[in-house]
Amino acid sequence: MAVRRSRLELVFDILLAIQNKGGRIKPTHLMYKSNLSHKLLNGYLEELLQKELILLEEEPVKKKRRPLKVVRITDKGLSFLAEFRRMREFTDAFGL
Amino acid sequence: MFRLFFTPGWFNGYDLLFNSVGLVVALLIAAYSWRVYKFNRENRFMYFSLAFLLVSISLAFKIFTSGVLYYFPVRETVYQVIGPAAGPGLRYSALFYRAGFFFQMASMLGAWLVIFFVSQKSRARLTKFYELSQIGLFVYLLLLISVISNFKYVVFYLTSSVLLSLIVLNYYKNYITTKKNSALKVMAAFLFILAGNLISVFLFLQNGSYVVGEILTLVGFLILLQTYRQVVRR
Repeated sequence: MAVRRSRLELVFDILLAIQNKGGRIKPTHLMYKSNLSHKLLNGYLEELLQKELILLEEEPVKKKRRPLKVVRITDKGLSFLAEFRRMREFTDAFGL
Repeated sequence: MFRLFFTPGWFNGYDLLFNSVGLVVALLIAAYSWRVYKFNRENRFMYFSLAFLLVSISLAFKIFTSGVLYYFPVRETVYQVIGPAAGPGLRYSALFYRAGFFFQMASMLGAWLVIFFVSQKSRARLTKFYELSQIGLFVYLLLLISVISNFKYVVFYLTSSVLLSLIVLNYYKNYITTKKNSALKVMAAFLFILAGNLISVFLFLQNGSYVVGEILTLVGFLILLQTYRQVVRR
């Protein structure tokens, strides 16, 4: 059985999914990549927006009236990813 | 003058230098673990930080007590400070040294015990009542051992070796699970510290074993430092 992800691990998975897509991703893709429900993802995105780890942008699309919503990772978000990787390495090394 | 055991005279001072290296390494790991605790608020990191803080406290006590024993000027200064309390001719100086060695041993054994508990994989560890009561019992036993070790130092090195063996076993399991180079290094580091303690058990046969024991312990701390740098610089 898979281990339940902690809150921080979920945040890491969300940010990693954005980084793996070149720093910007559509919310629907993010939902699939991070394996979260729509409701849960929205909750997390709000929190990440407040903490300035991500940005929500709207990009105009040709032949479409509604602009495309994208989630973009900030420099602070990238630093969080780096710090989390170090933390995980420390955890694995010292068996914590 | 009170001596717990006799060490080769030419080595006096070098061991304090080695212990200072260990103290710095322990403080670095304690500080990083505390930082991780502040980041994710998971108790195991706080306990791990506490364990390495205890290692550094133990080494600080060892450096201070041995420094006073080795160096005359330091002894004189300490005499000036504690002289009025210790009585004429420092009648209670043995008590001072015994207290120094007691705190050194109690905090080192406490540190190994906490590392042993924390390195056992369980998320619920150290939060349940029965686990905490077990720790309470262990703490009592460690304090008792630390008192007895003041009269028979071999008890300290033997207890330390038993705890370190259990830690090495946990880190071996961790390496098997993670297959990471850093996990292997941590296991190797504790293996060296264990070897250092085991060799020190034979101080009663040959006081040169103290030198070998201290060198092996230093190697252990240097491997820990290298692993710490590898992890943090990533």
